[in-house]
Amino acid sequence: MLGSVTLGNSAGAVVVSVLVLLSHTSDRTPPGSRRTDGVAGRETVRPVPVPEKEAESPRSGERATPVEPPKPSVSAPSAKPPVSRKSGTPPGGIATGGLAQKESEPPQESQPPKASAPPTETVPRPETAPPTEAALPSPAPPATAATLDLSSLETRLRETKAIGVFTKLSLKNQVDDLLEEFREFHKSPDRSMLTRLRQAYDLLLLKVLSLLQDGDPVLARDISSSREALWSILTDPDKFKDL
Amino acid sequence: MSGRTRAGALIVSTATLFTAPSPAADDPAVLRDLTAVIALQGQPCGQVLTATKQGDNDYIVACKDGSRYRVFVNAEGRVVVQKQ
Repeated sequence: MLGSVTLGNSAGAVVVSVLVLLSHTSDRTPPGSRRTDGVAGRETVRPVPVPEKEAESPRSGERATPVEPPKPSVSAPSAKPPVSRKSGTPPGGIATGGLAQKESEPPQESQPPKASAPPTETVPRPETAPPTEAALPSPAPPATAATLDLSSLETRLRETKAIGVFTKLSLKNQVDDLLEEFREFHKSPDRSMLTRLRQAYDLLLLKVLSLLQDGDPVLARDISSSREALWSILTDPDKFKDL
Repeated sequence: MSGRTRAGALIVSTATLFTAPSPAADDPAVLRDLTAVIALQGQPCGQVLTATKQGDNDYIVACKDGSRYRVFVNAEGRVVVQKQ
């Protein structure tokens, strides 16, 4: 019994040693895989950025689930599989670039909406808001030039042949009406009245420009360029008295 | 001869009297002016086709859309467009 046992044990030991040797030889063929099974494997696999992205949530699952079996398969083609997953058709060499792009793309996609949405909203607001309010302060420099040209503009309007006599008379009537409204405005300034006056002023100027633009485009351009300067004169009580 | 001359003068003067208002209708500048005036007053017209001069700064106009107006300058110096 003892002999059979010892024989069996020795045979078993031999079998085990042979198996161990075989396993070592088989393990030596892919040395990297054996190392990856150890501590180094986890370190090499985890730093790969791709699995971290996709498996940020799965990390807990990987840690809880058997870690070693998937890692050997992943560790050998560690860079390629994720690349092929994300890039799809592009090969590995390009895939790294694709990864870099895609790594940078998600932030770009997440950021641009924030950046693009505000600019579209913020840019128009300053553009729309200032013109109405900043129209008054800005024309200060051109106002002086316009006051100098005011008399010449009036003369040119009288002498232009682009507008008929009847039309000139009619325009003069409307200008006088508007000036009368401005006089009333300066007697009792009202913000709402100023808005209405601005509309009437713009409309009258539009009529003049439409009449001039074909027959006397130079005069039309000069009047159009002095629009704000004229408005500043009309709205300024002191300047208006001098008219 | 004097009788013929008088007759000729009468014919010419009469013709001048009757034809005087019509030249305004043929002047495109006046038609444009009247069209602009009516538009400035906010009245529908489209385009003035004919204009008959009634007096100084006084016209009867016919528009493309069929409407007729009297366009004149009143005593206060204002241009008036009156629907006819």
